[in-house]
Amino acid sequence: MDILVSSVVAGVLIGMVLALVALGLTIIFGVMDIVNFAHGEFLMLGMYTGLLTANATGMDPLLGIPVAAVVGYLLGVACYWGFIRFLLRGPMVAQLLGTFGLMLLLRNLALLLFGSEDRGVNTGILVGRSVDFGMGVIVPATKLAAAALSLVSFAAVWMLMNRTRVGKALTATALNAQAARYMGIPTERMNALAWGIGGATVTIAGALIVNFWSVNPYVGLLFTMIAFTIVALGGFGSVPGALAAGIVVGLLTEIPGIWDFVAYATEWDWMMDVPVTSFKYTFVYLAYFVIMVVRPRGLFGWKH
Amino acid sequence: MPALLEVMELTKVFGGLRANDGISFTVGAGEILGLIGPNGAGKTTLFHCITGFHRPERGTVRFDGRDVTGLPPHRIARLGMARTFQTYVAGGDLTVLETAMVGCFSRTASPFRARSRAREILGFLGLAGLADLPIRDLPVAGQKKVALATALGTEPKLLLLDEVAAGLNPGEIGELMDAIRHVHEERGVTLIVIEHVMELVMNLSDRVLVLDSGRLIAQGLPHEVAHDPAVIRAYLGEKYAARYLGEASR
Amino acid sequence: MEALRAAFDFSDFRPTERWVSRAVAAFLLVFPLLPVSSFAMATMIQFLMFSLYGMGWNTIGGYGGQVDLGKAQYVGIGAYTTAVALIRWDVPFWVSMPVGMGFAVLWSFAIGYPLFRLRGHYFAIATIAASLVLKDLFEVWDFVGAARGLEIPAHRFATPDFVRLIFKEDVYYYYVLLAFFFGGVLYMNAFRKSRLGYQLRLIKDNEDMARSLGINVHWAKVKTYAIATAFVSMVGSFHACYIKSIEPEDTMSLDLSILIALMAMLGGAGSLWGPIIGAGILIPLKSYFKEWFGARAGLVGMDLILYALIIMVVSAAEPRGIWGLVERYRARRESA
Repeated sequence: MDILVSSVVAGVLIGMVLALVALGLTIIFGVMDIVNFAHGEFLMLGMYTGLLTANATGMDPLLGIPVAAVVGYLLGVACYWGFIRFLLRGPMVAQLLGTFGLMLLLRNLALLLFGSEDRGVNTGILVGRSVDFGMGVIVPATKLAAAALSLVSFAAVWMLMNRTRVGKALTATALNAQAARYMGIPTERMNALAWGIGGATVTIAGALIVNFWSVNPYVGLLFTMIAFTIVALGGFGSVPGALAAGIVVGLLTEIPGIWDFVAYATEWDWMMDVPVTSFKYTFVYLAYFVIMVVRPRGLFGWKH
Repeated sequence: MPALLEVMELTKVFGGLRANDGISFTVGAGEILGLIGPNGAGKTTLFHCITGFHRPERGTVRFDGRDVTGLPPHRIARLGMARTFQTYVAGGDLTVLETAMVGCFSRTASPFRARSRAREILGFLGLAGLADLPIRDLPVAGQKKVALATALGTEPKLLLLDEVAAGLNPGEIGELMDAIRHVHEERGVTLIVIEHVMELVMNLSDRVLVLDSGRLIAQGLPHEVAHDPAVIRAYLGEKYAARYLGEASR
Repeated sequence: MEALRAAFDFSDFRPTERWVSRAVAAFLLVFPLLPVSSFAMATMIQFLMFSLYGMGWNTIGGYGGQVDLGKAQYVGIGAYTTAVALIRWDVPFWVSMPVGMGFAVLWSFAIGYPLFRLRGHYFAIATIAASLVLKDLFEVWDFVGAARGLEIPAHRFATPDFVRLIFKEDVYYYYVLLAFFFGGVLYMNAFRKSRLGYQLRLIKDNEDMARSLGINVHWAKVKTYAIATAFVSMVGSFHACYIKSIEPEDTMSLDLSILIALMAMLGGAGSLWGPIIGAGILIPLKSYFKEWFGARAGLVGMDLILYALIIMVVSAAEPRGIWGLVERYRARRESA
């Protein structure tokens, strides 16, 4: 029973963080219909930012979050003005391959700058501490903090999108760029802003994640695929959708744990032999496939 | 003689809007049926429902004795119903001939035969000289003619034309009318024609149907329909219709 | 019969194009006879392979208009079928290759049928997802060597072995592949003039109109996808016999899928020569970059950075690829 509860809890917590990773992607897609393959690379750079800030200043890694946010924002905006806006004019093939090129560029720049070994955070007030919830559920404090901060970020973005003028302008651009332009909304700048916010949220997520997940230049792709699945499930363009879907996907990654629980409970030995852990993320890819076939609009999506 | 097309109680709803509301009519083989009505009356929606692009909420469509309601468009097309579209989106690099060939490919698998059939059809529609031009280089009128040629390539029993005359000057309209007559007589194709160009519809049609706000408000011979008060009201609105008909306005 | 004639009929190409292609064909035929380094030979073989991959991709991605970023899974199916068949049961290449193609086509139907209900980005991402799922499966499946992969022990066979396609010298591989290459070009030539070829072009432009002409759009796309996968699987089988050592990470990776798509896109998706031009530029570029930069320590990944920049520039500046540039230039000359 313990396995089940702790798997579920772990799934929900990681899900909240993954949701934050996906948030940027859904905003960018909502506002301008471009799928960003380099999304995971932004995350990876956020992770390095968090790591390096902690190492350089000797301060707690959690304090690296604002730095990461700024870096992410600037990076997003720079990518938009320097590259993405040219892609938007072209056909979809070009957009896909273009952002893929960006992904390769960022990944290999990171390789050049940081080397290929795994690096992780090993100092900080929360590292090594855990919280005991009883029922055999022990959660590392870093993960708990990450989930909590992720929720805070979500709330902040939601407020931004729905309660501020800028946010409403963004939503307007997302719904109908032409009409927005007629209303006097500077859509080019809205696009850049979307990239900025997208970049910032995902680098924040990176700074959070690096506390319990080591980073190397290649982690990007996995997170990109996870983010795509979350966005597809939650609905392209939907902020609450991203949160709900993120939690679901987080639970999916805990299937090995749940599987073990079922194997234990039912005593079906054959279940023990299946190397489920290797398939941790395969389930996520499968989920994407199934979602697109069964309900392409996702749970809350309004853009298809 | 059984009708070629029977539409019964066809209803299509979009959200709160009844685009087609209980429409019923028949088309006999060899007829030319005109379909007119103010903008937004639901004419194109009706076409979509008949040809399988929309699924009606209620009602049935019988074509050549078969119930085709809700069948996918390509199946209905293969049964012998062809159509053109109100807006032709010409994007790629297909030439006039190549586009027409696709129509012919529904009847033959051989590119050689498809090409010669397509040339023949382009010939009698007066498009032979344009065969190798990319279709997007043609003016809208030309593109619509090519769409007509392509639809003819499928050797349909019933052809639905959606505003083929829009944007044509009088000379072109005359040419088009001749072509349609020719198609009708030489190839025995039954036609339903949506049009706003009254000259074409009224002169070509054997019968005319009038739609307004999703409902069928009149059907009959062209001159009958032209004098029907309900039709006049639909087009001119209450105020002007009253004046035109000499009725006292309230 | 008509298809055969169509395959050899290049008359609808301009004379310049025909002369250039004849020259290139002649060059390809005599290349091994020239005094070239083994590095150049290996690069040429890569070029031919990737041209073929690109041609296969072009069927569904170029003519079909659906961007497929999961082609590598079919390379894997072809490569593994041949490798496993040879290692375990000594099956000749000429048998295992069509069998591999058969498996590839079956798999393509299995995922293609649901897949083609999607368009655009959703379709592209789904192809990636499917490809990664298959790769993950291969990485844990012991029958195919899991993550370690498989090795074809070349020394076991008496070379040159045309039945199993094992050779000591690249020259043999080159000519066998060249035969495939010419065959591929002829096939594509026939394809673009076939009924399906025309139908695809209309579907790409205006799906509704295609439907109204009796075309079952879904099925047309599935068929085209199957053709593309057969092409790719065929070359995958060859890959196994040539490289002799395969593992999921290099035969089925996303990077390979993207590279294949890139060949066709860079050269010009939707044209016959596009993939060949694309491969002709990218493969030598990639090989030589690696040679120059890879050797220098501290510049790790520099070749990939340059390569990434090329992708980015092409996508932003001329998404229709080199062939798009050629056509633009021609159009301007003609209207002047």
